[in-house]
Amino acid sequence: MNKHNKHIKFVLDNEIVSIDFNKDPHLKSTTTLLKYLRLLPNHKGTKEGCAEGDCGACTVVLVELNNDNTLEYKAVNSCLVFLPMIHGKQVITVENLEESGKLHPIQKSFIENHASQCGFCTPGFVMSTFSVYKSGNLVTDTVIKDSLAGNLCRCTGYRPIFDAAKEAISDIKPDHFSNDEELTKNQLLEIKAEKGSILIEKGKQIYFLPFKLTEALDYKLKHSDAIIINGATDTALRVTKKNEFLPHIIDISHIDELKEIIDTKDSIIIGANLNLNDLRDLVALEFEALYDILNVFGSKQIRNLAGLGGNIASASPIGDTLPVLMAYNASVILLSAKGKREIRLEDFIIDYRKTSLADNEIIKSVRLPKTPNNLFVKAYKISKRKDLDISSVSAGFRVILKNNIVNEIALFFGGMAAKAVRAKNTEQFLHAKKWTLENIEAARRILFDEFKPLSDARAEAEGRKIMAANLLKQFWLDSIVK
Amino acid sequence: MNKQTVHESSEYHVSGKAIYIDDIAESPELLHAKVYASEIPAGVIKSFNLEKAKRLKGVKAVLSHKDIPGVNQMGPIFHDEPILSAGKLEFVGQAIFLVAAETEEIATEAISLIEIETEETDAIIRLEDAIENGELLHPVRKIECGSIEKAFDEAENIIEGRFHTGAQEHWYLETQISLAIPGEGKEMKVYCSTQHPSETQALVAESLGVMKHEVEVEIRRMGGAFGGKETQANHVAIWAALLANTTHKPVKLRLSRDEDQKMTGKRHPFLINFEAAFDNSGLIKAVDVTLNADSGYSSDLTMPIIERAMFHAENAYFIPNMRILGKAWKTNLPSNTAFRGFGGPQGMAGMENIIDKIARILNKDAAEIRYINFYRQKDNNLTPYGQIVENNRLHIIWDKIIKTSNYYKRREAVIFFNSNNTYKKRGLAISPVKFGISFTTAFLNQAGALVNIYKDGSVLVNHGGTEMGQGLHTKIQMIASAELGIDYKSIKVNATNTAKIPNTSATAASSGSDLNGMAVKDAIIKLKKRIADVISNHFRSENNSSCTANDILFENDYVIDKTKPENRLPFAEAIMIVYLERVSLSATGFYKTPGIFYNTEKGKGHPFYYYAFGMSVSEVEIDLITGHHEILRTDILHDAGKSINESLDIGQIEGGFVQGLGWVTSEECKWDEKGNLLNHSPDTYKIPSINDIPEDFRVNLLTGYPNPNTIRQSKAVGEPPFMLALSVWLAIKDAISSVANHKIEPEIDIPATHEKILIAIENIKALLNQ
Ligand SMILES: Cc1cc2nc3c(=O)[nH]c(=O)nc-3n(C[C@H](O)[C@H](O)[C@H](O)COP(=O)(O)OP(=O)(O)OC[C@H]3O[C@@H](n4cnc5c(N)ncnc54)[C@H](O)[C@@H]3O)c2cc1C
Ligand code: FES
Ligand code: FES
Repeated sequence: MNKHNKHIKFVLDNEIVSIDFNKDPHLKSTTTLLKYLRLLPNHKGTKEGCAEGDCGACTVVLVELNNDNTLEYKAVNSCLVFLPMIHGKQVITVENLEESGKLHPIQKSFIENHASQCGFCTPGFVMSTFSVYKSGNLVTDTVIKDSLAGNLCRCTGYRPIFDAAKEAISDIKPDHFSNDEELTKNQLLEIKAEKGSILIEKGKQIYFLPFKLTEALDYKLKHSDAIIINGATDTALRVTKKNEFLPHIIDISHIDELKEIIDTKDSIIIGANLNLNDLRDLVALEFEALYDILNVFGSKQIRNLAGLGGNIASASPIGDTLPVLMAYNASVILLSAKGKREIRLEDFIIDYRKTSLADNEIIKSVRLPKTPNNLFVKAYKISKRKDLDISSVSAGFRVILKNNIVNEIALFFGGMAAKAVRAKNTEQFLHAKKWTLENIEAARRILFDEFKPLSDARAEAEGRKIMAANLLKQFWLDSIVK
Repeated sequence: MNKQTVHESSEYHVSGKAIYIDDIAESPELLHAKVYASEIPAGVIKSFNLEKAKRLKGVKAVLSHKDIPGVNQMGPIFHDEPILSAGKLEFVGQAIFLVAAETEEIATEAISLIEIETEETDAIIRLEDAIENGELLHPVRKIECGSIEKAFDEAENIIEGRFHTGAQEHWYLETQISLAIPGEGKEMKVYCSTQHPSETQALVAESLGVMKHEVEVEIRRMGGAFGGKETQANHVAIWAALLANTTHKPVKLRLSRDEDQKMTGKRHPFLINFEAAFDNSGLIKAVDVTLNADSGYSSDLTMPIIERAMFHAENAYFIPNMRILGKAWKTNLPSNTAFRGFGGPQGMAGMENIIDKIARILNKDAAEIRYINFYRQKDNNLTPYGQIVENNRLHIIWDKIIKTSNYYKRREAVIFFNSNNTYKKRGLAISPVKFGISFTTAFLNQAGALVNIYKDGSVLVNHGGTEMGQGLHTKIQMIASAELGIDYKSIKVNATNTAKIPNTSATAASSGSDLNGMAVKDAIIKLKKRIADVISNHFRSENNSSCTANDILFENDYVIDKTKPENRLPFAEAIMIVYLERVSLSATGFYKTPGIFYNTEKGKGHPFYYYAFGMSVSEVEIDLITGHHEILRTDILHDAGKSINESLDIGQIEGGFVQGLGWVTSEECKWDEKGNLLNHSPDTYKIPSINDIPEDFRVNLLTGYPNPNTIRQSKAVGEPPFMLALSVWLAIKDAISSVANHKIEPEIDIPATHEKILIAIENIKALLNQ
């Protein structure tokens, strides 16, 4: 145990910053990056608009050193990031974009395009744009909008912001970050070279940050009370919104083994912590339905942090990936210091926010069987707003037809019950029937009454029932054009 | 003037250097405040005990209503809003106690240690229930013209109905915030994100029981306001000041997003009952409309808001016989308040809904019904409240936008699309806006300014208006630059401060640059006269000129002798001469809008200085399966007079339109039966994001129609564009009604969420099958 480091290190303002939580009266391990930045005299440009990941005013860019020695620039919501999560990364805020009094091309473009009115959202938009700029790629309008959909502006109506971002991104030039690249890499390497996991004990709070899977599993075996976090996009809200005190945390976001994706002959195995942006791009061709869902999952900032593991372990009735993963017949691979097991996702989710995850286990990965040719899978999400919204109803469907007769069908829904559920009555009705509009219409009536959804802030029970029934029809329509 | 002049703060905005109140460097002494708010919608406080909270380490003050040194009252017009509840609880989120502590965490913990016993009584949450229970807050207002009884008797067709418009949360990015710093003696300086510093000052002074000159309120910029900081910023300022007064330490109070959404008021929900008579051509003969507003628990600005809704209940149409009733109903919710448009949107929505219904019955394109009912130029131009619609731009705008939007071709294309698609339907609609400019309360139409010129020729402009992103300071800077004939960069507009300009009105009613621009101009005219006197004298004695003060020109950073233009002095040099002559280089300015009056009893008068006009054409596509909609294209043509800054004006139009878009589509507030707001965070309250705006968005200003008698012939542009978004709602209705071949008017409220669209489709299908 004595190998553990007590401090975290990261790069800010071109310097390696070290935080020893026990020496700083203002900081705890669950202090968010946003709070920390706003305590500094020169980083108040990062704003708080919501403290829950929904407005993007707090957007900063985290730079990571990849294994291939390249730097990757990721926009994240600093209001959701606990300080230890930035260990080993560079933090770039809006103040860093200017260099010796000269504005960055993005900043100039925002001024010239009249992209700020009250200006409160502006630093966040600038930083989201910056992350695209640093990807170095010329991108489509859709990609720009996707990258800005996690930022809200109440003043401008977005048109000038889009124009500003587009103009800046259409002419990417090396900037001072390019010039400093070697310095940054060396700094990040220097931090990486420090061996040993990080253990922060302050007051009644313990925060453990391991770099190896075995360390995490051993720790979890000994401390079953410790909660796991990865992206913290669910967990941080317990602190920022509910003022909860989290006494014991294992942060597994720095474990590379949990971010791998393995392609075998008959399945792909997705690391539980692989971020959802990367996952989206990797599954675009082979698992289109999952791609469709990831496209409307949270925002770019959220997807940069979140993994499948968190979505599955939360077992929320509105977890967007659950119905689609179930439709693909996914299974979950679980590890503990004592061994490994694999369980079908459908069986893993037991009830409202309840899984069969044991105290000492973590989700290692998710297995998606490759789909046979005659299997048709689709997934849908209906929400009040297209982007960055939780679904009113979501669905993942699969069907195998033989001579236009239903040979196998599975219909999974989110938002219709306490957990992601399967419409068994409707499936039963359709089974061995002809795949015709007439039968679908009849099935829709069964489906309409199959669940008793809630009325809540997002939708009414009546509306949800209509949506669920309609999605079945959409599935049928999509299957016949295919 | 350069239309491309960018926002004066844009360089600070993009670099993170713009200082909002939360960014002001914190004193080590600073205390953080939290509010303990009611968890029940109605009831009484039986007892409370603050001792445990007070004893927590780091807590510096815990206050109840008993600790208020002045009056426990913060209602802006009517005195029906206690600062802290004195026993009666009227909504979830009502402030009861205040805490100041060394950190926010400690303050939050202290809140949880407060002990209180309450007794809950019956609450009225729904507007319908308030109406049923007769919970009127104020006497009914009425405007009437012609004879509706007679018109209904003689009518060829009559329709009636009712519909509901929802609450809208302001969702300024910067939540309510104040920083109160006690000075010596009774002094209190308050930095407050407020649209109305003078009122904030007055109410803080009254709550502290001190004279107003002890309180100074300052605001450099707000992170958005939209009406939400017209009165309700006062609350946070007063709470912070009370704590600062007790502790003698600076106190900052910033509402978290959830607190802000739960505790502050919204755009008033309206329930609109209507009856209309029209002939077979679609010409409207009479309208009888009742505007029922959900006030929340107190008056706040409800009455002027209802009044404005009534003034816009006929929108752009001449209705010869009309009766408009305005009713303010009391519910156990936070007091609803000003929001861009100030009742105008609700009033207009009622009228546009009537037009749609008429079109469906007569089987005509709603555009046609709109056009034939427009106010005309020489006749049919009298509003129900007796003001003539002068300088009517409706027909000019209509002619242009119908052409540029290709309306009739696209109508055909929409019909074609709909006949070829089962699961997607398109809709097209045009909607006009005629919006009255002025505060409808006459005495508010005044403004002050103070302009200082320093010895180096730099100019500091103070005025009573506040900067919330709309670019008011930029426009004022441009106005001052044009009036003084000096470079824009030599002019700075200061933070708004009650010590500099007293007794101002709120920056609201779109009047910011109209009023303050004129006041600044007035001050500059005084200064120019003084400078001209001295400098003409100077040219006469030094340059052998025979010029008089009237011959002095201010141009291109020079002060020039018109009679001999080679006689010229750089502005700064001229200023030095004036200084040495011991002439004051500081002047106040003042302006009041002429000719405004309104008699509430009679419902007649001339409440507006002028009208602003605009129109929009929107085309949408709805997905009948998911209820999602997309705005394929929106064209806007808007009248901003002779624009002072086209880019800023376009920014107001686009921004206002998109905010309106949120109101009519995705922004929905629901409360449970206990008065808890369900959509109290951006997680469930959805304002538009970048993918919700029109795919093809064409915004233009009407050019060639300057506005007589206003500052540089411009027009107010803050609020009117909000209502242009009604075209989106109308287009959605058009698309839904295509499901029944436009024979049935879909019943759909505002907002038309994806869910309500689906339900409307189901309803219309059910009617078809009957
Ligand atoms: C603004 C915003 C938008 C969002 N939008 C969506 C959306 O569109 N759709 C949607 O479904 N969700 C959404 N979410 C919820 C959240 O982002 C997802 O649930 C996400 O997948 C969580 O992943 P994470 O890594 O951040 O989880 P964390 O917060 O780190 O963890 C969540 C839970 O999972 C557990 N956990 C995480 N990883 C593992 C593991 N490997 N093994 C065992 N347990 C683990 C944790 O103990 C915790 O209980 C949104 C959240 C926010 C804040
Ligand atoms: S503050 Fe809104 S996303 Fe972080
Ligand atoms: S400029 Fe005000 S929120 Fe974007």
